[in-house]
Amino acid sequence: MCNILEINNLTKSFGDNDILRGISLTVKKGEVISIIGSSGSGKSTFLRCLNLLEKPTSGEILYHGNDIQSKKFDIHRYRAEVGMVFQNFNLFDNMTALQNCCIGQVKVLKLSKEQAKQRALEYLEKVGMLQYINARPSQLSGGQKQRVAIARALCMNPEVVLFDEPTSALDPEMVGEVLSVMTGLAKSGLTMIVVTHEMDFARDVSTRVVFMDQGVIVEEGSPDVIFTNPQEQRTRQFLARVL
Amino acid sequence: MKKLLLVVVLLMMLTVIFSPLSVVAQAAPADDLQTVVERGVLRVGMEAGYAPYNYRQTTDANGAVAIYNQNGEFANGYDVKIAKYIAEQMGVTLEVHALEWDSLINALNAGTIDAIIAGMSPTEERKEAIDFSDKYYESNLVIVVRKDGKFSDSDNIEDFVGANIVAQRGTFHVDALEQITTVTDTNQYDTFATMITALKANTIDGYIAEEPGAIADCTANSELMYVPIRNNENGFTTAEGDTQLAVGLRKGSSLTAEINSILATVSDDQRAEWMDEAIAQQPVESIERGFFGNVAYILGRYWTKILQGVGTTILVSIVGTVAGMVIGLLVGFIRTLPTARTKAGRIWQKVYNFVFSAYVEIFRGTPMMVQAMVIYWGYALLNNGVTMNTFVAALLIVSVNTGAYITEIVRGGINALDKGQFEGSSAIGMTHWQTLRYVILPQTVKNILPAVSNEFVINIKDTSVLSVLAGFIDLYAVGNIIILGTYRTFEAYLIISVVYFLLTFCITRLLRLFERKLNGKSNYALYNSDIVSAAPNVTGE
Repeated sequence: MCNILEINNLTKSFGDNDILRGISLTVKKGEVISIIGSSGSGKSTFLRCLNLLEKPTSGEILYHGNDIQSKKFDIHRYRAEVGMVFQNFNLFDNMTALQNCCIGQVKVLKLSKEQAKQRALEYLEKVGMLQYINARPSQLSGGQKQRVAIARALCMNPEVVLFDEPTSALDPEMVGEVLSVMTGLAKSGLTMIVVTHEMDFARDVSTRVVFMDQGVIVEEGSPDVIFTNPQEQRTRQFLARVL
Repeated sequence: MKKLLLVVVLLMMLTVIFSPLSVVAQAAPADDLQTVVERGVLRVGMEAGYAPYNYRQTTDANGAVAIYNQNGEFANGYDVKIAKYIAEQMGVTLEVHALEWDSLINALNAGTIDAIIAGMSPTEERKEAIDFSDKYYESNLVIVVRKDGKFSDSDNIEDFVGANIVAQRGTFHVDALEQITTVTDTNQYDTFATMITALKANTIDGYIAEEPGAIADCTANSELMYVPIRNNENGFTTAEGDTQLAVGLRKGSSLTAEINSILATVSDDQRAEWMDEAIAQQPVESIERGFFGNVAYILGRYWTKILQGVGTTILVSIVGTVAGMVIGLLVGFIRTLPTARTKAGRIWQKVYNFVFSAYVEIFRGTPMMVQAMVIYWGYALLNNGVTMNTFVAALLIVSVNTGAYITEIVRGGINALDKGQFEGSSAIGMTHWQTLRYVILPQTVKNILPAVSNEFVINIKDTSVLSVLAGFIDLYAVGNIIILGTYRTFEAYLIISVVYFLLTFCITRLLRLFERKLNGKSNYALYNSDIVSAAPNVTGE
């Protein structure tokens, strides 16, 4: 299997505050990686560095072997291929659900409006939002918004999708609808990196679990190993608190 | 430290802007006579509102001359007769420019006009700024009072005990006013029309005028009369230069000798005849119509002018607000650009951000009327007296001024957006420009629309200050034209204020509707994939 992403010794500081202190990780095609850990451990910052919403302080991120921080690298193209789903959805408030899913296809991928619409309808149906294509974000519930946001990311035909705590801003009864969509995506073979507090999802759906604490990866492994037989003291303490 | 630097630079910029105005008196004329002859046009400035020397009428009857910078208005009077004679003798065409009294000397020195023939006396102060020809008329001072007032029997200045007497600002009448030591209240007014209105409304007891002017005023207003106060021990003490009238010309102008030789050919009898004609030909408004009659009369005579004024006001306000919004959005968007990667780029960013701040501070921190004068006259001085088209100048000033305010409104409008809007759009690979165009712009426009509508309504009212630009005939300027033509100050301003109110009221309602439309429908249609309904407009463009 080929490496989609290869991260070497990534660090990120905000002023004197070292958030990431040397992260290395390799992402292969078809993997579903869950990143778990306490708040403030650097999970979200790490994810945001992966599509350069945050600029890394040092370290290397290779996408199919190409350095994404190089000046010659086409960052807009890259971002189209690496989708992102946010905790707060970040849907465009001035557009309907359908328009949210089409704008990137038309403006970035340069597809025709008709092609874009067909693909948007397909993915909106997949996330169960076909009925609501004419609704604006302000007219949708949190869970509905997040499903549209996932469809928007999928419409770009990404190679990998980053999920930044996609269920943290949702009411408990809406968490399920989003998680079931994500489970479906994982089963269909989509490469996913998911920062999450949903331990059931991490255990049952992901192929690999990464535990982060204080800016470093403390332990990584298959869900079975991490959840039933963690090697590190800090992992055990964390799991004891959340499970 | 940074603040201090900003203040220093602002002061420097203001100094640079204002410095040309301080050297007004030194404007070196080219050979004026030759220029005028080659051009074939003599441009003469006057108020066209100081009967019987210069007044306005709506037709070219009695040899009146069309006012060059006020379409559809005609000037006549003693000054016009003199000016016509001078132009005729020189073999050139006369062009009358109607200007405010206070801007006549500026306009002369800026080269907008060649001569002032405006009932102006060659006082010592004025001689420091401009030259004068020999006198073309000499008069004496009188006081205009009400026929039924308690001062109608007075004949010397000692009689005005406890009176409230006024004079025109910027004239030697003010010096004369100070000689009446017994008055309790003195004041300075800008136009004779206002003084007449004040006297008729009993706000004042009388005003100082020169005899021909007094005759004209009393002819036009039957309830008024004037008391002659001779230049003797009981009268005003005035310098010769004050009671004479002369043609104002640029310092060292070659026109002076030419005009003097032409004036020398006019006999005293001819002058008296012209003055009698000027008084007799003045449009008389002595008919009593009562308040509603006056309003009806003004509307009937001036309704086309009022409509033109409304058109100008709306046009300038709309263009100014839209252009201001474009400026504001551009500046606001440039300010959102991420910090440049290179050092040179960062320095460049600092420079233009500083320029934007300075622009906003300067134009928010000075009155629009002052900006108008600085830009208009500054331009004339820098271009040898060629003035900007006043309409273009008005559009420019309103746009730039509004832009400064809307820049700040846009800043608030963009700040109000969640930064997730930028991130969501970056995350699907849109460029900064695409993000601004498709995501940020529509939302910002929606956010700022109420504040921009407010600016529009403010502009409708505030463009009235631009009437300081000679020839900019907005609704307010039409009001002034009505007053100069009818002496009905209250009725004119009342009509104008009602029109202003109707304008702002209707426009506010319209903008409200537009805002509601922009907010979109509060419900949406559920999509049924069985029906092949073309989902509308997929990109929101």
